[in-house]
Amino acid sequence: MNGVLIRLTARQLLGQKRTVLLLLFALVPVLIAVLYRVAGNDEPQRWAASALNARLIIGTFLPLAALVFGTAALGSEFEDGTAVYILSKPIPRQVIVLSKLLVSWLATAGVVLAATLIATSIALWGEPQDGILAGFALAVVAGALVYCALFMWLSVLTSRALIVGLLYVFIWEGVITRLFAGVRFLSVRQYTLGIADAVVDVPARVFNPRLGEMEAMVLAAVATVVTLYLAVRRLRRWEIGEAS
Amino acid sequence: MSAPAPPIAVINVSRWYGNIVAVNDISFALGPGITGLLGPNGAGKSTMLHMLSGFLRPSAGELRVFGESAWENPGMYRRIGLVPEREAVYPFLTGYEFVLLAAQLQRLPNPEEAARRAIAMVELEDAAGRATGGYSKGMKQRVKIAAALVHDPEILLLDEPFNGADPRQRLQMMAMLREMAAQGRTILFSSHILEEVERLAEEVLVIVAGRLAASGDFREIRKLMTDRPHTFNVRSSDNRTLASALVADPSVYGVELQDGLLQVRTGEFAAFTMAIPGVAREAGVSIYELRPTDESLESVFSYLVKR
Repeated sequence: MNGVLIRLTARQLLGQKRTVLLLLFALVPVLIAVLYRVAGNDEPQRWAASALNARLIIGTFLPLAALVFGTAALGSEFEDGTAVYILSKPIPRQVIVLSKLLVSWLATAGVVLAATLIATSIALWGEPQDGILAGFALAVVAGALVYCALFMWLSVLTSRALIVGLLYVFIWEGVITRLFAGVRFLSVRQYTLGIADAVVDVPARVFNPRLGEMEAMVLAAVATVVTLYLAVRRLRRWEIGEAS
Repeated sequence: MSAPAPPIAVINVSRWYGNIVAVNDISFALGPGITGLLGPNGAGKSTMLHMLSGFLRPSAGELRVFGESAWENPGMYRRIGLVPEREAVYPFLTGYEFVLLAAQLQRLPNPEEAARRAIAMVELEDAAGRATGGYSKGMKQRVKIAAALVHDPEILLLDEPFNGADPRQRLQMMAMLREMAAQGRTILFSSHILEEVERLAEEVLVIVAGRLAASGDFREIRKLMTDRPHTFNVRSSDNRTLASALVADPSVYGVELQDGLLQVRTGEFAAFTMAIPGVAREAGVSIYELRPTDESLESVFSYLVKR
């Protein structure tokens, strides 16, 4: 890790308009949870686990936040040509990737965790928690790391990381994984839900992820290590574009 | 004992993008002093500088910096300073913070002092506290140069460093580069402007269409450029009479009449331009227009390639 790079990346990410938009977007799960409670619906545990957390937060908000921060941490510098000021320094490439990952992970986890804690607390107000709040809090922090590593690798790999990332989230994870159960091993969303299951203590009718907790944790760790390795390898051999 | 490796050695280097050859079998070695990398836009200058700075892998050949490969070698950036052509800087950083960032990433023992010194070298003290996002093009160039030399590199690579600089800034930057070269540093800068290279570089590498068209002492190459054959288009009151009079002049070795225009070929630019008013006067012809046809830099370069 490099403190100078961490501070630089934090200033970069915090100063972007998309960060402000993301913070506003973080209010959406909270507002939906408030509406749910006001409407006085039944089965708050099932709604909080399967609809609010699994579908809205882990299915949409978490990958979008990770996509924004994960691709911007390094990708925006490739885009505007400032990457050359970092890469022309005697810094091991793994230090650059890890420093950038740390910031994007903390930013993603911070925003999503806050939304998860507030929205879930509202949804389960006066109801038994049964590990739902803690389980999904742990899951979004872990999922943020895997997603950020994946999207950072994409940003080093292609200048269209945002588009590729959106296709991954909405087509691969949103459609393909649902249609073909066999590809759940290649879905960060399924790893995240599986990790939540390590703490969430509710019947399968309320929340039933497709991956077991151990499988999910191992696959999440492997995915993080592999994508980080690929990002470092790619950065070592990064070539400046003719437009750069 | 073997001789120390030259700061920069380029050995039969080529680089291509698919079917397009950007740099074609170029070899040269550079030692301390200022060398200008001259060539028209798109000639391959930036590709060569990117390869030297380790940001492009050569498709063939070898690029060595102090005897080490430039590719996949971040350690060499301790000894190299790089000024990229793109004017992008971190817009939210002040000039001082931008240079300090470079000093800190170089892990200098006293980065604050090094940053202040580098900023003073480019005379940017007054604007150092302002965000670089509001800088003019010339100021961005200077802050980029300050960041590149903050760690006192032995080699400085600059891609079109005078773009956007006003004449006073140019002179100041040139004086600074001369001083650095006098201290034994190896400086390579690219430019598509002949006069810029002429004023600064002792040695020159001329790249045209990816090939090394000429290299060596600039005055010799300049002479080649000046003495090459020139063609002039002339419009006059009587092209035919003027043509027959000009053929008798020793500086002219060919004339051609076509579509109301007289085309004259000469091997001596200065002698011809001195002679033509007298020849026309004696022949009783008025000249309405006299225009050299091949004065673009590209034509000068392509002449060098053909030789």
